[in-house]
Amino acid sequence: MNFRVSLLAIGALPLALGCSSSGSCKGDYCGTVVFVTANNPKTLLPPVIDNTGARDIDEQLFLRLADPGMTTNTIGDSGWVPRLATRWEWDDPKTLVFHLDPRARWHDGVPVTANDVAFSFDAYRDPVVNSAARNSLTKIASVTVRDSVTAVFRFKEQYPTAFYDAVYQMWVIPQHLLAQVPRTDWLTAAYGMHPIGDGPYRFVSMVPGQTLELVADSTFFQGRPHLRRLVWKFVTGSTVAVNDIATGQADAIDFLGSPANIDLARKTPGMSLVPYPGSNYMYLELNTRANGDSSEPHPVFGDREVRRALTMALDRQAMSTNVFGSYSKVPPGPIPQWWPIWDSVRTLPFDSAGAARLLASRGWRLSADGFRSKDSVRLSFEVIFTSTSGARQAYARLMQAQWKSVGVDMQIQPLDQNLIQDRLSSGKFDAVLQGFNSDPTPASGIVQHWTRGAPDHYSHWVNDDFDRLVTQATSVASAKQSKLYWRAALNIINADAPGIWLAAPDNVAAVASRIADVRLRPDSYWALAWTWRIPADRLIDRDR
Amino acid sequence: MTTRPTIALVGALILAMGVVELLRLRARRSGSGRRFFAHRPAVWGVRILLFFTVAALLAPLVAPYDPAAQPGIVTLQNTPPSWAHPLGTDAYSSDIWSRLVYGGRVSLGVGLLATLVAMTVGVTIGAVAGYARGWIDSLLMRLVDVGLAVPRIFMLLFAVAYWNRIPLSILVLLLGLTGWFTTSRLVRAETLSLRGRPFVDAARAIGASPTRVLIRHLLPSALAPIIVSAVLSVGNVMLLEAGLSFLGFGVQPPTPSWGTMVADGQAQLALAPWTSFFPGLTIALVVMSWNAVGDALRDAFDPRPEHA
Amino acid sequence: MGGVWLIRRIAAAAAIVFAVVSITFVAIHLAPGSPFLPPPDRPLDTAVVARLNRQFGLDQPIRVQYVRYLKNLAHGNLGYAFSRGQTVRAALATTIPDTLLLAGTALSLDLGLGLILGVVLAARARRATDVILSNLTLFIYSVPAFWLGLVLVFVFADWLHWFPGGFTNTPGLYENLPFFGQLGDRLHHLALPALTLGLVGAAGTARYQRAALLETLGREFVRTARAKGVRERRVILVHALRNSLLPLITLAGLSLPFLLTGSVLIESVFSWPGMGRMATDAVLARDHALVSGIAMVASAMVVTGSLVADVLYAAADPRIRERAT
Repeated sequence: MNFRVSLLAIGALPLALGCSSSGSCKGDYCGTVVFVTANNPKTLLPPVIDNTGARDIDEQLFLRLADPGMTTNTIGDSGWVPRLATRWEWDDPKTLVFHLDPRARWHDGVPVTANDVAFSFDAYRDPVVNSAARNSLTKIASVTVRDSVTAVFRFKEQYPTAFYDAVYQMWVIPQHLLAQVPRTDWLTAAYGMHPIGDGPYRFVSMVPGQTLELVADSTFFQGRPHLRRLVWKFVTGSTVAVNDIATGQADAIDFLGSPANIDLARKTPGMSLVPYPGSNYMYLELNTRANGDSSEPHPVFGDREVRRALTMALDRQAMSTNVFGSYSKVPPGPIPQWWPIWDSVRTLPFDSAGAARLLASRGWRLSADGFRSKDSVRLSFEVIFTSTSGARQAYARLMQAQWKSVGVDMQIQPLDQNLIQDRLSSGKFDAVLQGFNSDPTPASGIVQHWTRGAPDHYSHWVNDDFDRLVTQATSVASAKQSKLYWRAALNIINADAPGIWLAAPDNVAAVASRIADVRLRPDSYWALAWTWRIPADRLIDRDR
Repeated sequence: MTTRPTIALVGALILAMGVVELLRLRARRSGSGRRFFAHRPAVWGVRILLFFTVAALLAPLVAPYDPAAQPGIVTLQNTPPSWAHPLGTDAYSSDIWSRLVYGGRVSLGVGLLATLVAMTVGVTIGAVAGYARGWIDSLLMRLVDVGLAVPRIFMLLFAVAYWNRIPLSILVLLLGLTGWFTTSRLVRAETLSLRGRPFVDAARAIGASPTRVLIRHLLPSALAPIIVSAVLSVGNVMLLEAGLSFLGFGVQPPTPSWGTMVADGQAQLALAPWTSFFPGLTIALVVMSWNAVGDALRDAFDPRPEHA
Repeated sequence: MGGVWLIRRIAAAAAIVFAVVSITFVAIHLAPGSPFLPPPDRPLDTAVVARLNRQFGLDQPIRVQYVRYLKNLAHGNLGYAFSRGQTVRAALATTIPDTLLLAGTALSLDLGLGLILGVVLAARARRATDVILSNLTLFIYSVPAFWLGLVLVFVFADWLHWFPGGFTNTPGLYENLPFFGQLGDRLHHLALPALTLGLVGAAGTARYQRAALLETLGREFVRTARAKGVRERRVILVHALRNSLLPLITLAGLSLPFLLTGSVLIESVFSWPGMGRMATDAVLARDHALVSGIAMVASAMVVTGSLVADVLYAAADPRIRERAT
């Protein structure tokens, strides 16, 4: 503990008195873990949650039919761990039957039934609810109730990630509590602020912008969780969050980010670093259509050679080192480190002289002011990104300086997140610096972003060969074959450069070393917190 | 540091010192001038302000490096102060001293221009209200009441909602337009008290227009408190600009401002404290100088035996 | 006479708050951006946005929304804060106490420390102590409060580990503590932010107090007391100080804008979950209702502060009351 007696310790004396008499919990089922995060959830109702903070909490409150194992395999069902469903089988190649655990109960005592499963599917698919998972459920034709503990999924077609789609995107939610709430109101429904789930932890309280507390359900049918309480603390930004780790105010942080933060956490007594496979990547998406007018090509990014030149002008490795130290790799495509297709695909080299020649050959010539122009139009564009992200801010500054050295004028435009979304959907942007936090499979991430007509197809980049290869990669049954198709597709997108792949950070979490059995599942780092424990001899004041 | 910036730096220092001595010589002739120069913190304040102003104006000479240059984003990142980089480098490997010198252009410029706007608006409205009296006076002063009821930073935050990246000109206007309320009260009071004096009546009797009476007769008499309030306001505006930039709403990169430099350094406070320490210290020194000069001016204009 | 004066003063205060609410409401509605915040990788359907706009009446003309807002206001209903998933009233109710706690503690530090320093400076006027401390107060008065906060965090939290770097208590531990333990935990967290805000304020108060005391010391009655052989310490503490305390009341009432401004920045540095931090977030999220609510509360605080200062001042000095009517 860091409570040294200081001259100004107006707090320390009463605190010392307080500590000695606090808490009464002894034995194996004590312990409090405080997670610190900058992602303050606005609702906890699973289909309408919108950030990873809410997801982490819902992992403890709600159950999926099955969870991915530590390998996060997405093809077939190998490695998947039973949760709400005790077992499952394929009646035929397009019919999947789940048998629910009859012991499962909502925290108000009502049993969890197959009706809840069917209700959940209906809600997740409802355009009014507008769940993030909606687009991933389109290949499921129906979910029906065979009996109270048997739910039947019918697929429109047979494909490798069918099982993953059926279980991963959806937490089962209580029909008896939500059927009466109009779907139009779900975003602001009272249930979202004090949910009743069926997971290992019950909801206790939440103060928006401050804290949230969950307590272990001692009757949980898969076994009583060891940690008695889970507390989330919501702070303004990553700097403050890391500070909490360094001063012992919090026990766990999911992503340390910069080398400075990692270093600080490493030096903190009682803290352990926990690396786990990187699930996100950062990239610059270029709008190939004109800013605000998708019928015209973009004056700069409409030209494939210019896009390639702009990519070559950036020393992506040096930028990655500047921002993330040794804790990041430059991705060989729009992919995070943990996707099975992370591979030595060809990428455009860093070559600023070559970039300058290429720009000149396309008519962009240097003017007296040091910037290039063509037909008296300056080679200039604006990069937008969310104002709260330190890493993106840093990347914007670095790219600006590197492009300036080859005569490219880049404007920095940090924006509020909702305004970014406005700009993206209306096409009113030149380039956007984004981070993509991925599902375990490229099947949803790449398809939703880079193929023609996809929901998040902001670059408007179209390549029929790429689309065809992606379709083949996601429908072929053999993992090896699939990887070959992916590699061919990535070669195309890398050569065409509709985006510049900047960094795929390693994820490094920090977790208090008094906690035992810490495992971080790559797709959802805190998901297994219900299996962590604190040995009785390591309990500190806040654990008791 | 190479020779040129070192010489330029010494030159700026000598210039600042020299100008102060020149001013001191000239000021000896008047009582208020002598009182001002008897105020030692203010003399140092003038030196500091002159130094940073000269450095900002001659930035290309004084700054050893291009403030936006990133000479080694891997090798020169966050290096501590050294001879080559007297105040160290920041996370982008840019030279902090060079950024401070160039940042002075923005920070001092915004402070001065915004104060100019505030003073112009405040003096005009105060003079009009005090001279016109009646309902115009009431209306304007109620407006001032409303303006003073909302803390300035809240007003600025709300105004910021209109722009994504706030242009520097708009920022100056906003800072100015939210800072005239107390000045207008002050000027109104002065105008009211002067209005009944014989020389004003005389001017009106010979047919001078209200504008002429205000500009030629009333304002010069109220000049002293206006100047004091303007000088004190510059420091205040600089603090506000720094605060807004710190929250991410102010001056945007790559333009360096002292406030954004503090904000940039916050993320590596533990690793490279110099990145935010020196810009913050500079703001404090310069604001302190404005305040000291303001204090001394007040004493100089308004001699009271207790303060002498 | 006194009653009428008070009523008029209160009515004026209410009118000011009303004007602030109206201006803010109109202004913030004209700002671009939607109050709905979908994540970048998940666009909201335009139909859904339209429905949400309808649901919350955002598709109505501003006039209609404004009248409805005022009606609701009369019933104590301030609207719904989308960005926080709770009503504006609940949002204000959770954040105001923390802001008041911070501002209140800072104000006590400000006045207490400022008064003592002011007395010391005046008593030692123009001697070494005065010169050194005067320059120091001038410096602290000029320091950007958020930067001072950063420096204090660096020294006392990151380096010495004496104090936590932010927030109001230790979540996880706090709930388990007995009453005094909770008090201690809160004080432990309050120390740095309150010190940051209080120090800057105290520097200003000390400067003011020094000038006021010196002026009083030059007055007739003080000279008389001195002439009668009263000891200097007693002259300062009893005769002069009592007379310069009156302006301090006003100063306290009028320092609210300063404290609220400071709290916006300090709350951000220390992740203090108060109204200032919420204001920043609400502006970013274009949360119209919440922004208007905060503006109303902030202006109400400022207006009340100056009202209380006026009333206390008038109560202490009847001449003011006469003149004001």
